[in-house]
This record gives sequence, structure tokens and C-alpha cells, in this order.
Amino acid sequence: MPAPNRRKNRVWTVVTVLFFLGPAMFGFGTKFYELVQVFRGDASGAFAVTPIVNYLLAGCGFLLLFGWAAKNGMFRDIEQPKFLMLENENRLDAVERSAAPHA
Amino acid sequence: MNAPEMESSSAIGPESAADLERLVERKLVLWYYFAALTYLIVSMLGGLLMALQLIQCNELQGIELLSPGRWRMLHTNAIAYGFLANAFLGTLHWAIPRLTMRPVLSKPLSYLIFAAWQIVVVSTAVGILLGQAQAVEWGETPVWIDPVALLGLLLVAVNFMAPIAGAKGPMYVSLWYFMAAFVWTFLTYAMGNFIPQYVVCGTNAGAIAGLFIHDLVGLFVTPLGWGLMYYFVPILLKKPIWSHGLSLVGFWGLAFFYPLQGIHHFLYTPIPMFLQYGAVISTIAVEFVVATVIVNFFGTLYGSGRAVVTNLPIRWFYTGMILYFVTCFQCALQVTLTFQQLIHFTDWVVGHAHLVMFGVFSQWLLGIMTYLIPRLTGKEWYSRTLCEWHYWLSATSIVVMFLDLTMAGLFQGWSWSSMQYWDHSTQVSQPFWIVRVFAGLAMFSGQIVFIYNIYRTLSGPRTAPATGLQPATA
Amino acid sequence: MFESKAGVLFIGGLGFFVLAFIANGAVPMLMYRDMPEQTVHEVVNPNVMYQFEDLNRRFPEAFKKYVGDAAAEKWDDKQWNEHCAQLLKEGRDIYVGEGCWHCHSQFVRPVSNESLRYGPVAKTEEYQNELQRPVLFGTRRVGPDLSREGGRRSSDWHAVHFLNPPLLSPHSPMPRYTWFFDEGNAGKPNRRGLAIMTYVQWLGSWLESYPYFEDYQATSNLNPEPAAAAPKAATP
Repeated sequence: MPAPNRRKNRVWTVVTVLFFLGPAMFGFGTKFYELVQVFRGDASGAFAVTPIVNYLLAGCGFLLLFGWAAKNGMFRDIEQPKFLMLENENRLDAVERSAAPHA
Repeated sequence: MNAPEMESSSAIGPESAADLERLVERKLVLWYYFAALTYLIVSMLGGLLMALQLIQCNELQGIELLSPGRWRMLHTNAIAYGFLANAFLGTLHWAIPRLTMRPVLSKPLSYLIFAAWQIVVVSTAVGILLGQAQAVEWGETPVWIDPVALLGLLLVAVNFMAPIAGAKGPMYVSLWYFMAAFVWTFLTYAMGNFIPQYVVCGTNAGAIAGLFIHDLVGLFVTPLGWGLMYYFVPILLKKPIWSHGLSLVGFWGLAFFYPLQGIHHFLYTPIPMFLQYGAVISTIAVEFVVATVIVNFFGTLYGSGRAVVTNLPIRWFYTGMILYFVTCFQCALQVTLTFQQLIHFTDWVVGHAHLVMFGVFSQWLLGIMTYLIPRLTGKEWYSRTLCEWHYWLSATSIVVMFLDLTMAGLFQGWSWSSMQYWDHSTQVSQPFWIVRVFAGLAMFSGQIVFIYNIYRTLSGPRTAPATGLQPATA
Repeated sequence: MFESKAGVLFIGGLGFFVLAFIANGAVPMLMYRDMPEQTVHEVVNPNVMYQFEDLNRRFPEAFKKYVGDAAAEKWDDKQWNEHCAQLLKEGRDIYVGEGCWHCHSQFVRPVSNESLRYGPVAKTEEYQNELQRPVLFGTRRVGPDLSREGGRRSSDWHAVHFLNPPLLSPHSPMPRYTWFFDEGNAGKPNRRGLAIMTYVQWLGSWLESYPYFEDYQATSNLNPEPAAAAPKAATP
């Protein structure tokens, strides 16, 4: 992929991510704050907030793991297997075609 | 894990036809398909019997072995363990060796598993018909068969894991799904069939049963189905999947969010409310994950849209994907407590189940069969027209059935909540139930057409080289 | 990690499954760990015992043939309890084996006017017994919820209804269960018939509201003749 194209892609990715995640995070944040306000001081309210906090923690952990993996060079050539798969398939088909009795 | 290792893995592979025969056991794939189609017909007969019972047109009443209640359980079990499991196993015997360039662990073991699985399915059917069902929905398999089935699943995992373990380098997305599915199916089956029976009772058993119903679809059928789509769509379109990176989001999103949703099958039960909220939230979350997968596949299709017209298997696949999106979108709505008040316990849910089990996964598998059967037998389809009939009958009837049952569900829910006499809710359902019978009959006849087509194809002459329903040969 | 076999197997396959099991399965188990599980003998209560003895009165020959001759053998309370528990258990197996639970739920929700129609909203304690292993919540209601059905109708009614449902509820899509009876005679239930009736009469018998009768008045504008089982009024 040529360099300008790649940069364009990156800009688009950031713009798209901001477009979706920005409002979503804002919406979620305010709603969650409201929920916490509602249940404040209520013992059973903690039960309502707990699963959300758990999911958030697990989600954050996963995000960190993702960042760590990316930093360790895990996604440098992430698209390669899809090309390899097609190549393999083509080779198998070629063998089959050469082996098949001619119609 | 490192890129350089990749080169070595592409160096191996079959060089001759004999190698190819060693790689894929074609006969076994075909056997699995025949078994699958047999159970599909049996299951549909069960559905038909129940549908006729609901409109009070069942003339076979009073015969114990033809009890609609028992056949209703046979209907779901024959689909899950007879049709879907057999068709998946057959297709995996094709896809996994070709993806990894390695044969399965052992051919005799493969045949042993085939035989064992048929015994499991037949004894399940017999057990249910004799009234020995277990009170676990989608797992009514009588308790004495459960350990055998579990052993079978373990052998399946071992047999298929061998070639995957041998493959080097970063794996293609299909293989992630398959690997995870083998682990999940085994764990799910063990959890759902043993814990509510032997360990806990009551509400706790309900939580586990909900998790089981859910995981059976989400962690057995869904990953195998999507794994196969990631394999068959690129090879049929002859271009790679749009983004392998995006498929990562789909896989890990499914792995994380899907199993957390079990309790949403039992909302408003005595299961603690905060757990119900948690299940609802993760159900809505998984809808976003599904969207990424759908985007990925339509990104792949972009630029070759005509394939949907000319290439029949591709049309099956993409129809299934659209319906998958509809199912999941519906799921995100119906899982909310607002919808649940009205639609829980109604035919809305039945419509949803049919849409996902037939509309999505069965249609995918039927599409795969449409593609593979000529390649397995070396014979071109007897009639392309009949293949088209099979597609149109199946696709239209499932959409009609889904819309019909969804509406029926709304009317039933309103009837109950407005405190009508109970009769009212069954009376108001009658027109919908009648339409459902006809949709079911159309669906059934589609499968009969397919089986007839297979029969004529097999008894016809060899027309090698068969390449499936490619545009060039159509 | 995300694309490696170990990652997929142990984090995706095993890890997330276990996480979900803890979140969805282990939490309720821990919360209810102090709630005792009753055996089938413990759930036999005076209400269901009345119904069980009533079966003996209504179907004396069948009862004698399939359960035992209570008068001649001079059953004491313990024997009555024993037989009732045994039939409850068998009745539950029939309820499962015939797929009753696929058309009749066993929990009352706090919404959709259900507590008016069926009675008190379901509570966890009700399900902590051997007969709810696996639990019979159900997921579909073609017919009404049955968790408060006990005592609402007589066993005579149930016998006829099991044999030929449309006779009593004209538009009922419920199948006929002729194999619960000898000679297709509603007066001659066999052991299976007696067991399933015991089981149905047991449902809800542990509640104060037993037997629960629907708490509603007919909305006159919708159902002009509610008493006549509304066969004509509701026909579309």
C-alpha cells in the first residue's frame, strides 16, 4: 500500500472512531453517572451498579491486553493469513484439476 | 506467531491426486450430509405435526408414540444434534484439512465418530419418543445418553485439533472459530446436561439452563457457522475477506459477550435482578460486534455483487447473513425488559428461534451442500432449476414464517396482558398458525426438491471436472 | 495472543466461558447456598394430600389397582405420604416426558397483569426442591401458566380434560392424552393418569392463596357473554 493512501486510511479510521465512540462514550458516561446518583446510599443499588463496573473492568483489561499485544508486534501483518488461505485453496484446486479425468 | 514462519507452512501440501484423497475423506463428508438431511426431514415432520396440532387438524391423536408434545422435543433435538451437528461435522471434514493442509488425526477415528454420533442421535430420538426426556430445553437428550454424547464431542475435538495444532504461523480466522467452538461445545454440553440435573435445583438450575440454551446456539452453532462463512465466501468469490483485522473484533467480541447473556432467556424470573440487567447489557453489546462481522462480509462482496445472482451458494450465504443481522437486531430489542413484558412466552420467540436456526444456519449449510455435493461426487447438479426452487422455497417460507409468528406473538401478548379469557389468545392465533402450517409445508417441499435433486444427480453420469455452481459453468 | 492457538484456546475458549459461568451461574448458586433443597417427601403438604385422598374417593377402582388398597391395608399417615411422594415424582417425570413444560410455564412474572390472572409472583423459595431439578420454568405459553393450578379445578375436570381437552375448553389446541386412561374412559385413569393429576394438583399447593382463582371481572364490552366459555364471541 503506498504511503499517502495509508495515511489517508489512518485519518479516516481516527475520524470514524471519534464519530462513533465520542457520542457513545458521552451518552454512556452521563447515563451511568445518573444511575450511580439514583442508587446512592441504597444497599441493593450496589447490585445494579456492580455488573456494569465488572464489565467495564473486564473491558479495560481486554483493551490493555490488546495494546500490549499490538506493542509487541502482533498485528504487524494481520492480513496475511487471508491471502495465504486463498493461495492454499488455489493450489489444492490446481492439483484436483490436473488429476481429474478429462470431460 | 512471527511472520517469517509463515513461509514454511505454505511449503507443504498435496502434490498429487492421491495426496488430495488422503487430505479429505470425501465419502465421509457425503455420509454426514445424507445423515443430516435424513434428520432434517424427520425434524420437519415433527414440526409439521405440532403445527397441525395447534390448528386442531391432527388426525393422529391418541397414539402415544405420535404425541405432538414428544415430537416437539424431537423437532428441536433432531435439528440441533441431527441436522446441524452432522452437517457441521461433514463440512469440517472438508474445511479443516484444506485450511491446514493436514489430514485429521485418524481416518478410522473419523468413521468411529460418525457411527457413534448417529447412535447418539437415534437413541436420543427413541428416548424422547418413549417419554424419557430430560427437562433441559434444547438438551432433552435422555440422561443416560448424555455421557456418550459428551465422549463423542471430546473425540471430535481431538480428531480436528490435531491438524490445527500442526499448522504453523498466525491462523486464519476460521480456525480460531473452530478451535474455540470445540472447547465451548464440550463445556456447554457438560454444563447444561449435568449441573441442573445433579448439582443444583430451582432458580440456580434455571440460570444454568438459560446459559445452556444460549451457549448451544452461541458457542456451538454460531462459531462453526461463521468459521465456515469466513472460509467459503472468500473461496467462492475468489478474493480474500475484506479485513482480517476486523474479523478479530468479531471473534473476540463474540467470545467475550456471547456467553454472558444466558439469563436473558429467563427475565422476570426469581433469578436476581442485577444478573438479569447484566445479561441484557451484554446482549445489546454483542449486537455491535455482529455489525462488524456483517460489515466485513458486505465489504468482501462489494464489487462482486452480481455473484449473488449468478452464484447460488453465495446467495444462500448472504441471505443467511442478512437474516442473521435481522435476528441479532431483533435480539437487541426483544431482550429489553420493555419488550419482554409483552413478548415473552409468545410465538414471537418461536419465530426468532426459527429465523436463526433455519433462516441463518440451516440455510448456510444447505448453501455449502449445494456447493460441495458436485465437488464430492464429481457430478454436476442434475438440475440447476431444482436448486433454484430449493433456494426460493426455503428463503421465502422462512421469511413468511418469521413475520407471521412475530405478529402472532404480539397478538398473544396483548391478549394476555389485557386479561382476556385464555381462549381468546389461542383463537386470535389461529390465522397465524394456519399461515405457519403453509409456510412450513413450503419449506418442507423445498427440502424434498433438494433431496430429489441429489438423488437424480447421484444416479446420473459423471461430469467431471465438477466445480460447483460457478458462474462459468452455470 | 489474539491470533495464537494458546490465546484462542485458553482465553477465548476456556477463560471467557468460565467468566460467564461465574457471572451467570456461580453467583446465584452462592447467593442461594443457604436455602435448603426440599426432598419430594418434604413438599407433600396437607393441600396436596387432600387432593391425593380425593383421587382415592373419586377413582376408587383405579386407585386400588394402580396405587394400593388404602382401606384394606390400613395406611397410616406415613404410608399416605410415601405413596403421594412417589406419585408426585412419577407425575413430574410424565410432565417432563410428555413435553407439558414446552406449552405451560411455571412462573408468574410481576408484569403483564400476571399476578391477577395466576396469583402471587414467583419466588426463589418455591423452586428449591427435588421436583425442580432441572427447573421447569418453561419458555412458552400455548396454554396458561400452571404454577398455581393446583386446587383450582377438580380432579374429575382434569381427568376429562387430559382425555379430551376440547370437550371442556372448546378451542384448546392441547393434544389428547388417551394413554393416561384405561379403555379411553375418563373414569379409569391408570397409574400415569393418577400421577400426573397428583402433580398438577400439587402445583401452588404450598401457597397461602391456594387454591387461587382468577381475580378479574369480565370486561363487558369485549366479552358480552363471558360465562358461556366464549366460543362464539372470540371467533375471528
